[in-house]
Amino acid sequence: MSMNVDSSRSLRPPRSLVKRRPRREERRLSPGMARILVILAMVAAWEIGARFFGDPLFVAPPSQVAVALVGLLGVKGVMIAVGMALLELVVAFAVAVVLGVAIGLAVGLNRFWRGALYPIIVTIYAVPQSTILPLFVLLFGIGAATKIAFGITHSVFAVILTLIAGIQNIDPTLLKCARAMGANRRQVLVSVILPSLVPTIFTGMRLAMAGVLLGVLLAELYVSSAGVGLYTQTFANSMQPAKLFALVTLLAAAAVILNELCRMAEARFTRWHS
Amino acid sequence: MITIECEKVSKSFGPRGSPHRTVALDNASIDIERGELLCFIGPSGCGKSTLLNIIAGLAEPTSGEVLIDGTPVNGPLPRKIAFVFQESALFPWRTVIDNVKLGLAFQQVPKGERDDRASEALQAVGLADFANHYPRQLSGGMKQRVQLARALCLGTDILLMDEPFAALDEQTRMVMGEDLSVLLARTGKTIVFVTHSLVEAVFLADRVAVFTARPGRIKTVLSVDEEHPRKQSFMKSAKLAEMRNELYDLLHDEVRKTMELRGEAGESGARAQSRGLRR
Ligand SMILES: Nc1ncnc2c1ncn2[C@@H]1O[C@H](COP(=O)(O)OP(=O)(O)OP(=O)(O)O)[C@@H](O)[C@H]1O
Ligand SMILES: [Mg+2]
Repeated sequence: MSMNVDSSRSLRPPRSLVKRRPRREERRLSPGMARILVILAMVAAWEIGARFFGDPLFVAPPSQVAVALVGLLGVKGVMIAVGMALLELVVAFAVAVVLGVAIGLAVGLNRFWRGALYPIIVTIYAVPQSTILPLFVLLFGIGAATKIAFGITHSVFAVILTLIAGIQNIDPTLLKCARAMGANRRQVLVSVILPSLVPTIFTGMRLAMAGVLLGVLLAELYVSSAGVGLYTQTFANSMQPAKLFALVTLLAAAAVILNELCRMAEARFTRWHS
Repeated sequence: MITIECEKVSKSFGPRGSPHRTVALDNASIDIERGELLCFIGPSGCGKSTLLNIIAGLAEPTSGEVLIDGTPVNGPLPRKIAFVFQESALFPWRTVIDNVKLGLAFQQVPKGERDDRASEALQAVGLADFANHYPRQLSGGMKQRVQLARALCLGTDILLMDEPFAALDEQTRMVMGEDLSVLLARTGKTIVFVTHSLVEAVFLADRVAVFTARPGRIKTVLSVDEEHPRKQSFMKSAKLAEMRNELYDLLHDEVRKTMELRGEAGESGARAQSRGLRR
């Protein structure tokens, strides 16, 4: 008998699989805490790796980067360069979104122009633009104009294409319903088309932010006679990785904040959505 | 008195002469009396929705015409006709009450009146407590009731409903059917109602228009001689069962025809046959 009991027990799956999944409030580790632990582990790995295995001419541990970051905050030239880059990002983003939404609406809502222009926009969008950066410098000089223009061309087409796709996906029943209730063209636009496109516009904004960051920073780094490009060049050439990393961290923080602002606006305006 | 006249309405989709051209309606004619509830019933794809859309001015017939109170339809008539769609046609970013008010806003009804009429309509469908909910927070049946409220508050003489209860379970649709019958008795609206349910058709309708298989024509019109509001007892009566069976026989052949066209020969067969017919 006891043999029987034992063998039947051994056939059961291991205890860990049978165990009831703990309810959320019972679980000791929350996803947020796990996330922080992962980040800490990565920073620790970087610190150890840089301290004991890295070449101090090329890598710096995060502790030194932090110190360098505080130092950079006091260097006026660097702050001006970063502020300038931020300004370029914001301007390029605003222009790309406004222009992209306007063109996207105009092209997407008109069957004729959609047919005529869509292939052109797709083609331009597919061209890798990094190769024509020197042309931008020739056209717009080495100032903010080049960086803003490059940021715009990196993002505006994605916004246009997103909008055109979003227009195709507007629920035809809602359009029909509005017409049946007597909506005129303006009312259809304001009450059906634009609200339907709110999530699409925010998707466009997120893509625009990614494109603008790429375009503006690419142009900043390429033009190394002034601004952020000058400082990255200097820090790299003079083997000061801590300062270089600190500058990059600063720019990355700016990017994260801008993206987060976008996300917050999206959550605020699409509450009905899910 | 006749309020809707469909005169030899035909509708084809697709380019003329193309093998993909579908003849959805072929000379469908019917006169609809003021204040009656008429049901369209027929095999899937026979053109019921198409005819309803043409009556509403949301689609144009290829030939023939529809007259509303003697005037030919050429575009939506928001002051005369309200439409209830099969799928939820609620605006997801608007609350229930704002959805109901939307049509009134389009028609430039003054704000105060808009609020009153919308609240009243929500009350009538029993959803006053959900005025500030969003559509995604409602059940399927509640959504359709909001659609009904929106259509009702427009105060039109004519209500067109394209399978409004199709997505609902049988019990819910039965109750909603009873409510609709009460409402009809009270408001005296003319209602055209598309359904696939034989029982629903007999239970609700003053007359049932039976469609042929595609291309759709109206094969027969059955009259259901029973006062509104319809009672539960009518649902259980022998009279309803008898009419339901009659409807079943009428429809059965047509549904078979539709299925055979599809099953046996598929698309190419159907095309060959329609070519044969044209010659
Ligand atoms: N926009 C359209 N383009 C092309 N064909 C269409 C279009 N709308 C309807 N049809 C065709 O017209 C025919 C009738 O369609 P309709 O929607 O009126 O059918 P129905 O009787 O309402 O069917 P169901 O009961 O399934 O809703 C179908 O064969 C369909 O393929
Ligand atoms: Mg239909």
